[in-house]
Amino acid sequence: MVAFLVRRIFQMFVVTIVAALLSYGLLYLVPGGPVDALLAERQNSGQDRINQADIQRVQQRFDLDVYLPFRFTRWLIGWPSGPLFGSVGADWAIGCQTPGQVRLVYPDGTFELVEEGCADYLTLAELEGRRVSRGVFFGDFGVSQVILRDRPVSDLIATRLPYTLSLMGASILLAILIGVPIGIYSAVKQYSRFDYTMTTIAFIGSSLPSFVFGIFAILIFSVLAQRAGLPFLPPGDAVGVRDYTIPWIGTVQAGSFLDRFLRFLMPVSVLTFINIAGWSRFVRGSMLEVLQQDYVRTARAKGVREQVVITKHALRNSLIPFVTLLAGVLAALFGGALITESVFNWPGLGRLFIDALGRNDYNVVMALLFINVVLLLIGILITDILYTIVDPRIRLG
Amino acid sequence: MTATTTVVPGDETSRAPSETQWQIVLRRFRKHKIAVVSLVLLVMLVIISALAPVIAPFPRDAPSLQTRFVPPFTVDSQGNFRLFGTDHLGRDFYTRLLYASRVSLGTAFFATLIASTIGILLGMIAGYFGGWVDIVISRTLEVVATFPTLLLLLIMSSILVQNINSIPIPDFFANFLAWVFAVSPREARIIFAVILVLSLFGWTGTARLMRGMVLSVRENVYIESSRALGASNVRILGRHVFPNALPPMIVDFTLGINATLVAESALSFLGFGIQDPTPTWGNMLSFAQSYMFQHPWMPLIPSLPILFCSIAINYIGDGLRDALDPRQRG
Amino acid sequence: MSIAFRRAVIVTLLAVLVPILAACGGAAQTEVVRETVVVVQTAEPVRETVVVEQTVVAEPEPSAPVTGGAFTTPHPILSDINVRQAIAYCTNRPELIASVYPFLDEEQQAGLLMDTFIPKSHWAVNNDVTTYPFDPEQGQALLDEAGWTGSPTRSNADGDLLALSFTTTNAQFRQTWSAVFIQQMAACGIQVIPTYAPGSWWFGSSTGLSRRDFELGAFAWVGQTDPAGRTLYACNQIPTPENNWEGQNYMGWCNERASQAIVAANNTLDRDERIRQYAIVQEEFANDMVSLPVFNRLEAEAASNRIQGYIADPTEYYTANIQEWTLTDGDTVVLGFTQEPATLWSLIESAAVQRTAAFLLSYPFATEYSYDYQAKGQTELSTIESGLATNEDIEVTAGDIIWNIDGEAVELAPGVTVVDANGETITYESGTVTLKQLVATYNFVEGQVWEDGEPLKQADFELAYSINCDPDSGAVSFATCNSIAEIDFSSDTSYTVTYLPGVQWPTYFLAPIGAYPSHQEVSDGRLLADVPASEWSSLPEIVEQPLSNGPFILESWEKGQSMTFRANPNFFLGEPEIKTVVVKFIADTNQAVAQLLTGEVDVLGSETLGAGPEVETVLQAGAAGDIQAFTIASSTWEHIDFNLNIR
Repeated sequence: MVAFLVRRIFQMFVVTIVAALLSYGLLYLVPGGPVDALLAERQNSGQDRINQADIQRVQQRFDLDVYLPFRFTRWLIGWPSGPLFGSVGADWAIGCQTPGQVRLVYPDGTFELVEEGCADYLTLAELEGRRVSRGVFFGDFGVSQVILRDRPVSDLIATRLPYTLSLMGASILLAILIGVPIGIYSAVKQYSRFDYTMTTIAFIGSSLPSFVFGIFAILIFSVLAQRAGLPFLPPGDAVGVRDYTIPWIGTVQAGSFLDRFLRFLMPVSVLTFINIAGWSRFVRGSMLEVLQQDYVRTARAKGVREQVVITKHALRNSLIPFVTLLAGVLAALFGGALITESVFNWPGLGRLFIDALGRNDYNVVMALLFINVVLLLIGILITDILYTIVDPRIRLG
Repeated sequence: MTATTTVVPGDETSRAPSETQWQIVLRRFRKHKIAVVSLVLLVMLVIISALAPVIAPFPRDAPSLQTRFVPPFTVDSQGNFRLFGTDHLGRDFYTRLLYASRVSLGTAFFATLIASTIGILLGMIAGYFGGWVDIVISRTLEVVATFPTLLLLLIMSSILVQNINSIPIPDFFANFLAWVFAVSPREARIIFAVILVLSLFGWTGTARLMRGMVLSVRENVYIESSRALGASNVRILGRHVFPNALPPMIVDFTLGINATLVAESALSFLGFGIQDPTPTWGNMLSFAQSYMFQHPWMPLIPSLPILFCSIAINYIGDGLRDALDPRQRG
Repeated sequence: MSIAFRRAVIVTLLAVLVPILAACGGAAQTEVVRETVVVVQTAEPVRETVVVEQTVVAEPEPSAPVTGGAFTTPHPILSDINVRQAIAYCTNRPELIASVYPFLDEEQQAGLLMDTFIPKSHWAVNNDVTTYPFDPEQGQALLDEAGWTGSPTRSNADGDLLALSFTTTNAQFRQTWSAVFIQQMAACGIQVIPTYAPGSWWFGSSTGLSRRDFELGAFAWVGQTDPAGRTLYACNQIPTPENNWEGQNYMGWCNERASQAIVAANNTLDRDERIRQYAIVQEEFANDMVSLPVFNRLEAEAASNRIQGYIADPTEYYTANIQEWTLTDGDTVVLGFTQEPATLWSLIESAAVQRTAAFLLSYPFATEYSYDYQAKGQTELSTIESGLATNEDIEVTAGDIIWNIDGEAVELAPGVTVVDANGETITYESGTVTLKQLVATYNFVEGQVWEDGEPLKQADFELAYSINCDPDSGAVSFATCNSIAEIDFSSDTSYTVTYLPGVQWPTYFLAPIGAYPSHQEVSDGRLLADVPASEWSSLPEIVEQPLSNGPFILESWEKGQSMTFRANPNFFLGEPEIKTVVVKFIADTNQAVAQLLTGEVDVLGSETLGAGPEVETVLQAGAAGDIQAFTIASSTWEHIDFNLNIR
C-alpha cells in the first residue's frame, strides 16, 4: 500500500507538471494577446502612437520576451531570475526582445519581409531586477496582469472563492440530497410511474446546455414575474446594492440575509436541477445491480421485510461505489460553473476564468487552471484508493 | 493460431444457442416501455430528417425580412403557414430544424463514434497489457482530462478558419459527409472539423471504463486457457475480451451521443461551433436566445428537439443497460 | 522506465502539435534568397520606397502596384471598378439596416446611412460625393459591361464563376446583416461565400485582416472627433509582405490625389484646410468604391426616469456631466458597467469602463461631445485662434532634436525624414530645414480642489509630468511625452508646453498633462511625490482609492461586484445633487437588460447595451415609459472592404 501510494503520488506529481506545462503552452498559443492588440495600433499616427520600445515594455510586463520553457519555469518556481549563482551565464540568451527580419527575394524579383530569428536577444543578466513571482510551486501565483493590474492573483481568487464555494457546495449537496433518494426509489420501483416521472425530470436537467435554464429562469422568475406584479427574484448578483420591494414580501434590505438568500436561490436551483440527473442515475444503476445480488435474494428468501432488505442490505452496498464519485466533487467545488455564473452575474471563480481568458490575464488563468489540475488529480487518486478499499477484488496497480 | 478452434467458454462457437442471447436482450429491452417508445420516436425523427430536402416546405437559408419573428402555428403576411414560426431573418424554423436535426444528430453520432473507438482501443490496451503500458496510457488520460477545453477550442477554431483544408479530408469523404448532412462539401469540411474537436473530449471516460472492464475480464479462466493454447494477443482481445466488455460500452456510447449533442449546442453558444447559415440546433438556439425578451417563444423552438432527443437517447441507454446487464434476470 | 515512456508520449503529443503550428506559420519557401535585415527601433525598413517619388505617375489606377512586391497581382474580379460599383449598387443598405434594427422607421434608417468614411454629423463630412443608392438594374448592367454574364451565378468568358469569399467576425450582429447581404448579392448573380471567424483571428496582428487574407471583408472602424485616416487611405500605408505588413490600408487602395490629400489633411492644424483636404479624399473614396460604408451602428443607452440631465452622445461617455444630473426621487443612482476597471489610474488603462468611472473622480480638462471639443477644466481650448498657442516656423540644423515622420524624437542628421513647414515630406541631407514649432499655454479654471480641501497647485502638475513621462510608470505610449521639448510650470493654474520642431498634434489645444495630489501621504508615511513611478501601478492610493478632485469620492470597492461613490462635499463646483453612485459590473448583456427592466440598475451605457437585439428591448421599454431610452448613431461604422490585390 505504501509503495503504491508513493509511486502514485510521484506519478501524480509528474502528471501535474506535464499537464501544467501543456496548459501553459496552449494558453500562449491562443490567438490574440496583449502585444497583438498593440501591434494593431502600431500604425496609429496620433498621440497614442506606439513604437518598438513600447512593445518591448509590454512584452516585459507579460514576460512574453522570455522563451516559453523559461517563462514556464519562472512561473512555476521563480527561476531563472538572473545569472545563475550570481554570475554564471550572464550573457546566455533565454529570450528575444526584437524579432529578426529577413527579406526573401524570389527568383522573379519579387520580395517580401518576414519575421524570422531574433535581432536582439534577452540575456540572463537583463532578467535581473525584473519582477518575478516566487513560483506557483511555492504558493505564489504572481500578480494579475490585467483584471486587477499589478495586484496579487491570490487576492483576486480570495475575493471570488467564498462565492464559488457556497454556490457549488450548496448545489452539489442539494443535488445529492434530492438525487440519491430518487435514484433509490426509482430502482426499487423499477418501471413504475414514479420511476418514469422522476427519470424524465432528471433527464430534462441534463439535456439542455445550462445557459438555457439560466435565461429561462431569469425571464420567468424575474422579468415576467415582476411585470405581472407577482413576487419576483432578483435576476442576478450575489448581493444587492440598494433596497427593493417585492410584492407580498415587502422591502428587502440590500446586503441583508434575505437579499443574499433571494439572489442565491436561482443559480443554486438551476445548478442543482442540472446535477440531479447524474446522481440519481448513478444511484439507480448501482442499486439495481445490488438488488440482483445473491445476498439480497437470500435475505428476501429468508422472509426479511422488503424495507429492511432495502435499507440494511441493498442501500449500504449500493452506496459503496457512490463514495468514489465524491472525489470528483473536489475539483467541481473550486472550478465553479463557467456558464451559470456568467448568466447570473455570480462573482465566482468560473466567471473570473472566462473574464481572465478574454482579457489575456495569463497569471490569473494559469492559477485557476493549475488549482483545477491539482484538485482533479487528487480526486482521481482518491477515487483509485477508495476503489481498492471498497472493492477488494481490484488490486492496486 | 490453428488451435483456437477449440471450444472455449465465451467463444462464439461455444454459445451454440447464442442467437437467443440477443433475443433475451430484446425481450428485456421491451420491458422498458418508455425506452421502446423513445427508440421508435427517435427512428422516426431520423427518417424525417433524412427526408428533409423532400419535405421541407421552404428554402433553408434564404432570408425574407418581410416575414420575421412569425410566431409558431400562425400564417405570415405572405399567407404561408409557419408550423414553428420564423427566425430573426425570416427563415422558416420548421425547415431549418429538419436540416439541423441531420447535422446535429449526425455530428453527435460521428463524434461519439470516433471518441468511443479511441477510448475502447486505448482502454483495452491499457487494461490488457497492464504494467508500464497501463501507466503511460492512464497518466496520459489524466493529462488529457485536465486539458482546458475552452483554450483548445479557441486555438482549434482559429486554426480552422485560417485554412479549412488544414485537416486533410479526401474529397470523396467530404462528399460523403455532405451527402449525409445534406450540406455543401465546404460546409461538410467545417462540420467534420467540429466533429474532431468534439471527439477530443469524450474518449477519456470511455477509456477508463473500458480499462476497468478489461481488468476484470482478463482474469477469467477462459482467457488464460486460450493464451495457453497459443492464441495471439490480438485474437484474445478481439474474440474474448472485447465481446465481454461490449455491453457497458454500448450504453456508454448511447449516453455519449447525448453528451455530445449537448456539448455541440454549448459550443455554438460560445461561438465556436458550426456556423450559421449551416443550421444546427445549437447555433439556432444561440441566436434565438438573444431575442428572448421580445420573443420569449424563440429559444423554445430549437430547445425542444434537443430536449426530446436527449431524453429519448437517455431512455434508450437506460433500457439497454437494464437489458444488457448479465446479472439481471427475468 | 515509466518516465522514459511518458517522455515518449510528450514527444508524440508535440509531434501532433508541431504540424499544427507549422500550418499557422507562413508557407514554406522554395528557392529564395535570404537577406537579414537590420532592425531599427521602428521596424519599418521599406517605408521610404513609396513616399514621394511615386508622385510622377499621372493618373494611376486605384490598385497601382508597389514595385517589386509579392502582393501586386490585381485581384481578378475586384480590381475592376465596374464590379466594385456593381456590388455597391446591388447592396440594399436600408434593408441591411432593417435586418439588424427592424424597429426603425425609414427616416431613422436613412440617418444611419453613410456615403463616405466620415459620419454624417461630423464636421469634416463631404456630402457632395458620388452615392450608390440601391439600383440592381444599374449594378447588373455594370456587371454585364464587365463581362460577367449568365445566371443564377454570373461567369466570365473563361467560365470563371463570379464568386467571392466574404470574411467577418462571428458576432451575431454581423452574421445577421451578412446573411441579407449574401442574398442581395445572389440576386445580382454574385455568389458570396461567408466565413465567420473569431475576432482574435480576424483582427490578429499576423492573421486575417492585417495579412489582407480576404476578398470581401467586413468590420467596423470607430469614427473619432479627429478624423485622422492617414494610415487607412494613404498609398504608403498598404500592408504588404515587403513592408512587413505595416499600415492599415487593407484594400490596397492607392489613389494619388486622395493619398496626397489625406497626408495634407493630417499635416495642418487649420480646420478649414483640413475640411478641404478631407473633402478630396472622400470624393475619391466614393468614386473608386474601394470600401463600401454600410451604416453607422445604432447604439442605445438607457437611464431611469428618475434621472434628469442625462446626455447620450456618440463621442463622449455618459458620466462626463454626472455632476449636473438631478434625481426626481431618491438620492442613489446605480450604473451598470460591462466589466470591472482594471485600475483607476487613467495613465495605464484606456478601457471605456475606466474612462467612465474616472469622470466621477476627476474634472476633465475638456469634453468631446458631438465630434468636437469643449473646454471644462481648461479655461478655454488653447487654440492658435485664441492666441494661447503659436505654430511658428523654426530653422533647424543637424544635431537639433526634432520630430521625424515616424513620430519619434530624433537628432536631425542626414537620412532623417521630416515633414517641413510647407507640409512636404523631405529627407534631410544638410544645411537648415524649416519646421513648424508648436507652443501652447494651457490655463486651468481656478478654485479646483482635492477632496481633502487642498487646492490644485503647481507641484501637482509637476508631479504628473514626472510620473507620466517616466518609462517605469507602466504606460503604453510615451509619444506625447517624447514630443515635448520643454514644459514651463508658471503658476498653480497654468503651464506652457513647447513641442519639438515638427510636432503637429491635431489636438494640441488639449492639455497633455494632468495633476496628482503631491501632498498626499501614502500608507507607509511617504509623500506621494516621493514614491517612485515603478511603484505607482500597485499603489492603493492611486489604483484603488485615488484622491478625487471630481464630483464624487470612492467610498468602497467590492472586487468583482461593485464600487460605491459618495458626493464630494469639497467639489469646487458645489456638491452634486446625487448623493450616492453605485457602479455594478455586469458582463452578460441579457443579465444587464434583466437588471434594467427589474429596476436593479438605473443606467446602462452603450458599451454595455451594445448594438444587438437588446437595443429593441430597451427601446420598447422606453416607448412604454418605463425608462428613458436614447438611441445614438454611433461613431462605430460597419463597412465592407474590397481587397484589390491577391498574392
